[in-house]
Amino acid sequence: MSHFFAMGGYARYLWPSYGVTLLAVILNIIWARGLLRRAKTDARRRLAMQSEAR
Amino acid sequence: MPHSLTPPLTAARLVIARDLTLAFRRPEQLLQPLAFFVMVTMLFPLSVSPELSQLRAIAPGVLWVAALLAALLALDFLFRDDAQDGTLEQYALSGQSLTWLLLGKTAAHWLLTGVPLSLMAPLMGYTLGVPPAASAGIMLTVALGSLALSFIGSIGAALTLGVRRGGVLLSILILPLAVPILIFGSRATELAIHGEAYVAPMELLGAIVVLSFTLAPLAAAAAVRISLE
Amino acid sequence: MTWVWFHRLGSPPYIYRLAGRLTPWFGWIAAVLLLGALFDGLVIAPPDYQQGDGFRIIYVHVPTAVLSLTIYTSMAVAAAVGLIWRIKVAHAAAAACAPVGASFAAVALATGMLWGKPMWGTYWVWDPRLTSELLTFFLYLGYMGLRASFDDLQRADRASAVLAIVGVVNVPIVKYSVVWWNSLHQGSSLSLTGKDTIATPMLVPLLVSMLGFTLFFAAIVLVRLRAEVLRRERAASWIGEAIAT
Repeated sequence: MSHFFAMGGYARYLWPSYGVTLLAVILNIIWARGLLRRAKTDARRRLAMQSEAR
Repeated sequence: MPHSLTPPLTAARLVIARDLTLAFRRPEQLLQPLAFFVMVTMLFPLSVSPELSQLRAIAPGVLWVAALLAALLALDFLFRDDAQDGTLEQYALSGQSLTWLLLGKTAAHWLLTGVPLSLMAPLMGYTLGVPPAASAGIMLTVALGSLALSFIGSIGAALTLGVRRGGVLLSILILPLAVPILIFGSRATELAIHGEAYVAPMELLGAIVVLSFTLAPLAAAAAVRISLE
Repeated sequence: MTWVWFHRLGSPPYIYRLAGRLTPWFGWIAAVLLLGALFDGLVIAPPDYQQGDGFRIIYVHVPTAVLSLTIYTSMAVAAAVGLIWRIKVAHAAAAACAPVGASFAAVALATGMLWGKPMWGTYWVWDPRLTSELLTFFLYLGYMGLRASFDDLQRADRASAVLAIVGVVNVPIVKYSVVWWNSLHQGSSLSLTGKDTIATPMLVPLLVSMLGFTLFFAAIVLVRLRAEVLRRERAASWIGEAIAT
């Protein structure tokens, strides 16, 4: 198992590479979903204001 | 009596004449990019080494970086005055091809900034240890490269017209696009400095010039219309 | 026939619902593919005879690098469609692509640097691939910066569309000039992907990873696209019931 993590001595470069990629994947997901959520909230608020105004 | 439109080439020439006339009324604006060019070039001996042999090695790069930065600075002047006093809007509404009018403006801009830079470059090259025999080559290469820069830069200038403090954004937009000009131009200058034939990179530079002066005014015109809305 | 499909895609409510339905599919398939590629690339694929286990960085570096360029092209195509046919959804798609593409370019740069250090002894080399990837990253930053500098959404859409189109025309020119520049100076055997052809057991996880990242990009863009469409369709009547679901 530790042989796997050592990656033939390249662990110092390999794992951070995969780590950075994973981070980018996670951040993309969080950011995109956050955007959509906020857009929906804004839309709901606008619609509520519009129907109140009538 | 039906009013016939001035042919586009004539209109472009009129724009060039107008811009040149206006520019000579305010010579400080012409001198600023030149002064900037000289100062940036000066920074290199000060920060690297006064050894002429070392400077000669980096001279092509230094000259081109300084010229690029000076050209970026000068691009601010391309549309600013005309946008402020409404002339640009008149151009867009005039019924004339905005593309041709902007071709004229950009050509005038090159005559006012690129050409003086290319004349100044051999002088600064000399201060960097470059032999005077290379002057003609330096002038030609910088002249051609700055022409391409003016055209590509005009797109960026048009896009950032309405933007507050658009100068830095303009640089960020233009620099990646200016890289090929920098690469081929500095290589051509380097060959010229060593007295070798610089035809090959000049041809590549020339291709970029042709591409940019045919396509850039189109893009710039589209960008100007968007900015003026 | 194709025009009907084209116009339907340009209809905001249609694209909103379609994107919503497609996202989970793309997302989950991407997850499966990426996990599969991860396992295959890290465990099953044999070590390279030259680079040992270090070559496995290829499975994240190459897909992100390739995608950073294809995303830019897609962005430019979408922007062009939006500009020429005045389709708001196309502009929304272009806007949605940019941050994703930029993040892929950043990952490509980071993984490229981490790959370079054990191979060439230094984190950064001015080889054609890394240099043009850096320039691509700046192209994205410029695009996003230009968008952000406009208050008016329509103007932001159209100005950044012009920039994207100009940029995409330049990408091959920039790549060519950087390769040309690099070839002038010897020692350009410093390219990150070796000249030797890659053996099949090492190639399979790469292709799977490529596909996985592509579907991941698609899923993220679809989510962002929905958000952009909602922003642009402020007062539209279809929004009420669409967001209720």
